[in-house]
Amino acid sequence: MGEPLASSLINTGHEVFILDHNQQTVTTLQRELGMVASVGEATSVRDLNDAGASRAEVIIATTGSDEDNLAACQLARNHFDIPRTIAVVHSPENAELFERAGVDMVISVTSLVLANLATAIPSHPLIRLMPVADHSQELVAIKLPAGGLLIGRKLSEITLPFGTNIILIMTSEGRSKKPNPDVRIEAEDEVIALSPTNSTAELWTLLTELR
Amino acid sequence: MNVIIVGAGNLGSSLAQAISDLGHKVTIIEKNFEAASSLPRGLVNSGVLKVILSDGSTASAMIEAGITNTEVFIAATGKDSLNGLTAQKAKIIFGVEQVMTIVKDPDAKKLYDSLGITTINKAALASNQLAEFLTQES
Repeated sequence: MGEPLASSLINTGHEVFILDHNQQTVTTLQRELGMVASVGEATSVRDLNDAGASRAEVIIATTGSDEDNLAACQLARNHFDIPRTIAVVHSPENAELFERAGVDMVISVTSLVLANLATAIPSHPLIRLMPVADHSQELVAIKLPAGGLLIGRKLSEITLPFGTNIILIMTSEGRSKKPNPDVRIEAEDEVIALSPTNSTAELWTLLTELR
Repeated sequence: MNVIIVGAGNLGSSLAQAISDLGHKVTIIEKNFEAASSLPRGLVNSGVLKVILSDGSTASAMIEAGITNTEVFIAATGKDSLNGLTAQKAKIIFGVEQVMTIVKDPDAKKLYDSLGITTINKAALASNQLAEFLTQES
């Protein structure tokens, strides 16, 4: 998790230093990103210091061990006054503890995966209503999630995949809205669309993407 | 007094023995079967020492050990950071009054002291400081 995060932060102009206990990981990081990594323990104040903790503005603890992530954030704050601490938590029950123990931002891996699964599987399915024109197109129904990116937008602001037309929008109360350009998308709206069969997945992703 | 100890390694089991000897009721949580089995037979059989085979850093194990009715909680695994997490869970989530943790690293000691968690080490245990402390408490 640390490596792609680090390269993305470096690409957006931040100064990043990675501490990892595995020599091989560090060697790979140095080869790919330069001298931005060293071997050390996240829970060692000396190693944190050597990694430049005293002038860091943020620490992000992403090891596979919840206890080490908590200790790294707390040691960083306690010894180096790092203003912002971010930690990954694997066991969901530890998320509340991390927050109450003063970690500024807690990222629960399990909750993220569950949230993604929930959108991908049960509550916002793609319903294929009918194949059209010799299966080259299909009529589909897609329900928009409450936290969706498109909620509140006008239809005219949304770029649909090529060849896709929205036929009708059904509200959660069962009221139908004509797909005029000025119509706004609301949470739990169901969009009925005619879509080229090979663009349906793209349409679903567009309509169900979360903020 | 009811006391929970997490970890039945060398320190955890000596602590369990010492605290039982003082007349307190001790529950020890240990996830490793062998370590749990090597606790003093006499204490376990007589019911003075209760053993729970589970991961003591989890809320479910703490509840099974009776944390809601516990005055003293001691994190005594071999890993500082795990002791830190476990001790904070006992204190912050379950509100145990007296929480102690074993730490090896002096830097970690400073952190847990600042969080209101009593840090103990081998030296303190050897000097019987803990026994004195518990006697005062009860």
